[in-house]
Formats: sequence, structure tokens, C-alpha cells
Amino acid sequence: MKLRTIRYFFKEAFVNLFRNGWMSLASIGAVASALIIFGSFLIISINFDYIAKNVESQVEITAYLEDSVNQLVLNQVEYKIKSIDGVKEVVFVSKEQALEEFKKQVGEELLEGIENPLPHSFRIKVETPQEVAAVAEKIQQIPGVEEVKYGKGVVEKLFKITHWVRLVGFAIMVIFAIISIFIISNTIRITVFARRREINIMKYIGATDWFVRWPFLIEGMLLGFTGSLIAIVLLTVGYNYLYEMVKLNIPIISLLPIEEFYDYSLGLLTIGTFLGAFGSGFSIKKFLRV
Amino acid sequence: MLHMIEMIGVSKVYPGGCIALKDINVKIEKGEFVFLVGPTGAGKSTFLKLIFREELPTRGQIFIGGKNITRLKPKEVPYLRRKLGVVFQDFRLLPQKTVYENVAFAMEVVEASPREIKKRVPKILEMVGLSHKMNARPHELSGGEQQRVALARALVNNPDVVIADEPTGNLDPDTSWEIMELFNEINKNGTTLIVATHAKELVDAMRKRVLQLENGRLVRDEERGVYRGET
Repeated sequence: MKLRTIRYFFKEAFVNLFRNGWMSLASIGAVASALIIFGSFLIISINFDYIAKNVESQVEITAYLEDSVNQLVLNQVEYKIKSIDGVKEVVFVSKEQALEEFKKQVGEELLEGIENPLPHSFRIKVETPQEVAAVAEKIQQIPGVEEVKYGKGVVEKLFKITHWVRLVGFAIMVIFAIISIFIISNTIRITVFARRREINIMKYIGATDWFVRWPFLIEGMLLGFTGSLIAIVLLTVGYNYLYEMVKLNIPIISLLPIEEFYDYSLGLLTIGTFLGAFGSGFSIKKFLRV
Repeated sequence: MLHMIEMIGVSKVYPGGCIALKDINVKIEKGEFVFLVGPTGAGKSTFLKLIFREELPTRGQIFIGGKNITRLKPKEVPYLRRKLGVVFQDFRLLPQKTVYENVAFAMEVVEASPREIKKRVPKILEMVGLSHKMNARPHELSGGEQQRVALARALVNNPDVVIADEPTGNLDPDTSWEIMELFNEINKNGTTLIVATHAKELVDAMRKRVLQLENGRLVRDEERGVYRGET
């Protein structure tokens, strides 16, 4: 392909873009709105995911030891816990440390003069949160361990919720992706239809299919690119606002930092551009058959 | 000898069973001027579409410049069309482009160099007598002038054959004459011409080869022929 042909393609694409001013604006608007809707659900979905992962990673097992254990048993228990498959981290919490923590929680005065009632314990983190129940079960079997706690029931419920949130989020994302493709290819179909005469004449003159196709593809990509750029700017501003709001008002929930959303916006830009090209290529196909 | 266009046993049946052409055998030599006549629905348009590879024959072979075009791959079709120039009854100019741009467009499409385009377009516009309207847009021109632009566009890439489908169908008699004279001139320069028409007076006056189609059959092939309504 000759350089001046490529220049011709871009010139044509831009000229057409401006010549069909209102139509182009409508297409950009459609791409932008589709991607804003798509992007909003993406943000919701990735945030649910983020929050779910956060909560999951905080799930840990506490193994309380019998009062009678000595240093030797303590070492044996630690060794046995560490050798269980799926255990990531084991932290020893002595009676004294436990008391200190407890004091901090309830207040020093209240516990004045009482003998330390707390046992030695281990805090265990596992590789994957789904293994918690199984690991806890095994720890319970170790001699010297009196009781194992891991928020039974709560953990299972949480997994169920995050599982469904992910599933629903993904389904909604797919649905909106399809809707976006539909809107874009439809708007570009209208632009292509408005120029079917031109395409027809080009084919009669002896233009190759790709010669006809390129300006429309470029036009579609420009429309998709511009539309997704608008969507990204609005989504970023909106998300920034939401992020600050949540941080101020509901400090327990930590949303995905805005910087990580930038990676996704690059993806949105690619999707928008690709959708534009795809939509126009799809729409022009019928008119090439001359 | 290599014929410019040769059809051997060509039939065309459209989906739905409409028989447009039946067993056509015809040879057209380089530099000939041929009128294609016959009532509406006789198969004239199909005849031209087959040459142009817009349609494929149901049966038979078509050769252009010795090449069997029924065997062309879709990718090769544009290169066949570059050897053919086409003119329609409704001109088919691009309304938003000027006269110059409309003609230059045909050269851009086949990736001619800008230098060539700048040299060739004014020349061809001069030939069809439109040098003074180079920057006008189609809607500012009369029907005859628009058809001249269409003809200039068909000629600008130096085609071997020019095909015209009812080129004077939308024009008044005087303008039709001018267009026919232009065709004659083009033909004298060596371009093969096939003109489908209803214009009886023109055909009778020009005394060129006449192919008459009726109900899809070639019923008359006459050198220096006249139109004649019925056979």
C-alpha cells in the first residue's frame, strides 16, 4: 500500500467525519454512553471483587492451646501447623501479648489485679481463603490444641456472596458489551448507508474492497476512540468523586484506588476503538457486494 | 484472433426463475461501436452486467481481452473493471465533490500518482468540453453536462471498453446528440463502445453495429444497422 493512499484514507475518514457532523456526534454519543454504562458496571464489579478479596484475606484461624502446654509442646504444635498444606503464615501469640491486646480493647482499669485468664494461641493465615475450614479441621486434631476459631459460618456466607457478586457482575458486563456493539454498529450502519452511492461508484470504478473499507474503518475507529475517551474522562471524574465520598463517609470500606482504574481505562479505550472498527466493517459488508 | 469481448452460449436465470438471457453467442472486436437495442426487460441491462462482472452467467463463458471472466476470483474483479469504463442513465456523480474531484476520484481509486492526476484530469475535461466548469458541483450542471462528467470519469483511466446503459435516457434530443457525437469521437480514438439505448433516431442516424435482444434472445446482429421496433 502506498503512503499517499494511507494519507488519502485518513483524509477521507476525517472529511467524512466532519461532513456527517451530526451523525458523527450521534455515533460518538452512542459509544460514549454505552461505554459509560459498561464502565460503571465494570467499576462496580471490580470494586466488589476488590472488597471481597480484602475481606477474604482478612479471614484467619486462631488456635487456642491448652493451659498446660510447655515450651516443647508449643514447638511441636507450631511445627505441625506449619506442615499442613495450604498454611501460609503462623504467628505465635503468648498469654501476655493476648492480655496486652485485650487490655487495649476493653481498657486497662477493668482488668486490674486479675490473673491472666487467656491461653497461648497461634494465628494462622492460609494460602486460599476457601481452605480455611479444612485447615481448621486439621489443626483441631493436633494434641495440645484446645479450641480453633475461624468465624465458622461467616466465612462460608462471605464466600457465597462474593461468588454471586462476581457472577452477576460478569453477566451484566457481558450484556452491556453486547448492547454497546449493537448501538455502535447500528449508528455506523446509518453513516455507511448514507454513503452507499459513493461505495457503489467506487466499486464500479474498480476500487478494491479494502480501498473502500479503510476510510470507513478509520472513521469508525476515530468515532469509537473519541467516544471512549469521553466515557473514560467522565468515569474517572465520577469515580474520583465516589472514592473520596466513600473514604470520608464510610471509612471501613476501601474502594479500589483510582490509579488501578487507569489500567482498565486503557482497556476501555482499546475496546471502544475496536468496537468502532468492528461496527463499521460489519455495516459496510453488505454494500461491498456489487 | 483475440476478440475484445466474446460470449459463448451465455444464459442468465435470476433466482426465482426469471430468464434474462438465453444462449447468447456474440463477438465484439477491438474498436467497434455497438448499439444494444430492444424493449425494456429484453435483457440489455443483464448483458452489460455480465460484461461488468456484476452478475455471473448461469451457463456459458465470457471472455474479455481473451480472459475468461467467469472464472475470476472476487479479488480480481476490481482489476477487470479498471479496463472497463461505465456510464449510467442517472450519471451517478458524487454530489459533494466538484467536477474536477469527481473525475480525479476515479484516478485516486486506482492509486494513480498526484502528478498523473493533475495532468490527466484537465485534459479529459477539455475533451468533453467542460474545462470551464471544473470547480462546479454536479447540481449546478445541466443533465447533458453531468453526463459529460460521468463520461470523463469513465474515460480517465484509459479503459479498453466503455459501457453505457441508456446514457441519453434522461436527456433531451439535442443534448443526446451531443453525447452521441462525443461517443463517436471516443470510438475514433480506438475505444470499444457498447451502448444500450432506446433512442431510435440516434441509432438509425449513426449506422453502427446493432445487437437486438428480445425476451433474452439475440434476434438480430447487423453491421451498419438501424433500430427497428419489431422483427
